[in-house]
Amino acid sequence: MREDLSVTALVTRVGEGDQEAWNEIIERYAPLVWSICLRYQLDRQDIDDVGQSVWLLLVEHIGSIREAAALPGWLATTTKHECLRVLRAGRRQEYPGLPPEEQLPGDPAAVTVEQELIEAERDAALRAALAELPDRCRELLTMLISDPPPAYAQISATLGIAVGSIGPTRARCLGRLRQSPHLAGFLADGVEGVEVSGTGR
Amino acid sequence: MSFVSDRWGDDDLLAALREAVRARQAVPAEFVEAGKSAFAWHNIDAELAQLTYDSSRDTRYEPSLRAETASVRALTFTSPHLTIELEVSEDSLLGQFVPAQPGTVRVQPADGAETTVPADEIGCFVIRPIPSRPFRLDCRTTGGTEALTGWITL
Repeated sequence: MREDLSVTALVTRVGEGDQEAWNEIIERYAPLVWSICLRYQLDRQDIDDVGQSVWLLLVEHIGSIREAAALPGWLATTTKHECLRVLRAGRRQEYPGLPPEEQLPGDPAAVTVEQELIEAERDAALRAALAELPDRCRELLTMLISDPPPAYAQISATLGIAVGSIGPTRARCLGRLRQSPHLAGFLADGVEGVEVSGTGR
Repeated sequence: MSFVSDRWGDDDLLAALREAVRARQAVPAEFVEAGKSAFAWHNIDAELAQLTYDSSRDTRYEPSLRAETASVRALTFTSPHLTIELEVSEDSLLGQFVPAQPGTVRVQPADGAETTVPADEIGCFVIRPIPSRPFRLDCRTTGGTEALTGWITL
């Protein structure tokens, strides 16, 4: 029986002091925090500063986040606030004489934070689904998405699959990926409403 | 990105997977490790003092107040038995226990060694220089009350 790796289960385990569950949450959502910092064009030192603050706030608040599913949104909002704080502090040092309102940068990244959140949740779900695939499938898909993608002959040699069955295996593995509970929320529309939703492409 | 609500064809799904893995690989390992290390700060026994006032948050949303509040940043942390008021001056952090009483304040940086400063008979203390990294204050009164502030970044 595989461990339940839903966000809700992870948050519960963190509440019980489980470092592994905490690590999994960090692995899953560090890219979200990172990408929002990039949106605000912070340098590396400031990004580390923001990261440190966000994780410490998360340690403190994770016990009081009532709806675990809200965790990514909480992280996005907290990261945004911390980015703005760092930007303000930087401007204060650079222009000490500025009146306070001038210290407040505009927030050109605000709109895209929401987009980062959507993408980060989808990415995290995909990675979680990939991680739970049977080894053979995970290895094949990992090879197929590597950059540059290896030739089928090389895949065949590495994984010991006949070249002719790479295509069918790929299809079968992607089929399993689709069935992952992690992706349920993202794929729901695609199951029944194929014709309707497919016309927009 | 539209594939989220569309039917995921094999190629779409593979492309999305590639993007997801790349997004994770773009994050430096040390950044992730710092996040994992932060868990060492969980499960603190002391009574937690929550941030209940921050003048800088005031001015962000209410520019009209800035003339009165902008020169000094003020923070208030409140726990059931002790309130800690902080003012950020140019080169130091001034604090006071409310109700006024003597004690000690341990300054705990997230990533460094802690230092201790005394709080005088009316609960006033000075932290100099201002910590540049996130820190918290473990405040103990001689009467035995202990309160730990949330993380502070100045």
